[in-house]
Amino acid sequence: MSADTAAEPARESRQSGPVVVFLRWLENLSDTQYAYLLLTPVFVLLGIVAIYPLLRTFELSLYAVSTDLSSVRFVGLDNYVALFTGEKNRFLPGGTTFLPTGFDAASLLDSALVITLIFAVASVLFETLIGLGQALVLDQDFYGRRWVRAAIIIPWAVPIVIQGMMFFLMFDSNVGFATPILADLGVVAPTNTLNDTISATFIIIVADIWKTSAFMALLILAGLQSINRSLYDVARVAGASKWQQFRYITLPLILPTIGVAVLFRSVQAMRVYGIIDTVSSCTVVPSLSCMVVSTFNTHEGTSAAIAFVTAAIIGVVVMGIILWQGEDAI
Amino acid sequence: MSSEADGTADDAGPLARWARNAIHNPRRVYRALFYVAMAFFMVTTVFPFYWLLVLAVTPQENLLSGSFLPTVDLFGVSGTFPLPVPKGFNPAAFVTVFEQVPFHLYVLNSFVLAATTTVIVLLVASLAGYVFGRIEFPGRALLMLGILAISYFPPAAFVIPLFQAFAGNAPITIPFIGVPLFTPPRLLNTPGSMVMPFSALFLPLSIFILTTFYGQIPDGLEDAARVEGTTRLGALFRVIVPLSAPGVATAGVLTFISVYNEYFFSSIMATSPEASKWSPIVGGILSYQTQYTTQYNLMAAASVVGVIPVVVLVIIAQERIVSGLTAGALKE
Repeated sequence: MSADTAAEPARESRQSGPVVVFLRWLENLSDTQYAYLLLTPVFVLLGIVAIYPLLRTFELSLYAVSTDLSSVRFVGLDNYVALFTGEKNRFLPGGTTFLPTGFDAASLLDSALVITLIFAVASVLFETLIGLGQALVLDQDFYGRRWVRAAIIIPWAVPIVIQGMMFFLMFDSNVGFATPILADLGVVAPTNTLNDTISATFIIIVADIWKTSAFMALLILAGLQSINRSLYDVARVAGASKWQQFRYITLPLILPTIGVAVLFRSVQAMRVYGIIDTVSSCTVVPSLSCMVVSTFNTHEGTSAAIAFVTAAIIGVVVMGIILWQGEDAI
Repeated sequence: MSSEADGTADDAGPLARWARNAIHNPRRVYRALFYVAMAFFMVTTVFPFYWLLVLAVTPQENLLSGSFLPTVDLFGVSGTFPLPVPKGFNPAAFVTVFEQVPFHLYVLNSFVLAATTTVIVLLVASLAGYVFGRIEFPGRALLMLGILAISYFPPAAFVIPLFQAFAGNAPITIPFIGVPLFTPPRLLNTPGSMVMPFSALFLPLSIFILTTFYGQIPDGLEDAARVEGTTRLGALFRVIVPLSAPGVATAGVLTFISVYNEYFFSSIMATSPEASKWSPIVGGILSYQTQYTTQYNLMAAASVVGVIPVVVLVIIAQERIVSGLTAGALKE
């Protein structure tokens, strides 16, 4: 250590010791060296917990484990091919298929890919509409606005397991009060509601809308509040009605914000797992994440291939976000 | 109700009078629409919490008998009351929750996991936020794009190798080369197996929030501190971080809530749902279900208890959450 001190005369100090030596070494780094040094913890953390697992998942997806679990052999892209041709479907729990086997409702709802896309599209669509409504309410000036905003945000902060409990208990066959009401309207199945794919998917979408609309509302509200208010004064003087003000000023100006928010939410919606696991089960509503979790102990290669396909689909959406936002994305 | 056809405004009922005024003054209609919308959003938001309370105070023996929607008889017209009502009143369920299962320990586990993750994330993200917000260096844009991309990947794409590594059975090998590095200790059912994925999962959001806040501090303040003789790291932790306290609080609150809410890794990495094995709140609530009978009232009561901390946090730190969520998603 003392040899280092002598070797670096750039900044003189009477003190010595390892800490001082380290600090002096720090002072004499170039900006770029300093930047990369400070980023080391990020690289280490993301390297261990994100990049290594991602690469390893891809590697695992190229191998097949023998039936007696004693050996693995390289199979290239066979796992992916088998996944898309339907040969892997027998490994998936509860009669689930990866791609739909036909175009009738039953086989579409058995497909993990279709269920995940239905969930993502339906929940994001309604979250956007309700979030827009909530944002328009929160954009007004009224007494108690702070409390209304807090109330609207709270669902976003509710733990997924508790959100799941709320909706599980509403539709449970023993205590659920909501099943008979909605069954009379023909929305959900009257018996065994949470084990019926259509009903359970509907309930899970409603649960997700309940929790996440607030998130959309906050993003849209930020867009609303960046609109120059004098535009509305001009419109009023020109005799525009409230609807015309919304249609010709508000909507065009917040559309880019809504676009970004929709892509951002779609990416999150594609991961859905927790709410399915608590309200229903992965065999009833087979999302892609569900399939990864329920097969990774028994059919590693299959599970890894599904995980990587999920990541690839999300990657395509992410490319959309980056292209949309361009330089602003960073 | 019967005065619709009357000629003068004074004789008309309140509804008709309101309607007549509304035609002349459409603003009143918008105001009414606004109140209807607000009431609708408030009711739909609060209703699931009300339902949990109804279920929690209903005594166990009344749970399965009768309906939560009582039939009311109003002036000879009988109908179903539209809101669920408790069948009996048993506040003791909120005590039984802790006697049956050590639920407080599960909540404590969640708190410890969330607090540890928050500290790690704030430290690492502070360094990164300083670099991205205040230093121009080659590769900056590419690195930020990489971190952004990682934050979009689903946890399912990470879980298989992480679970195998934390199980501690096989050595970690470099992918595609097959060089074994080391065999990690068994981390399942310990904080390590959850804090590590949580930190990586929620790090990007904090990095983006802190980059924004640190980038806004004028260069002159940092230069002044450096001229006064502070070290580079000293300038970061004594000048930049304190001046960006709202940003640090925002990142901290969001990370804490996100970890407290997390389901995926919480349910997979804590393989046995016991409080002594670091199972967080997820395991606690589900353990009322896996016993011999499903104790619906206790599940509801535990959910109410588990949600209180975040409700308090949202009410206190509302401004921070709003600014953090919008900054994180829109990257302003």
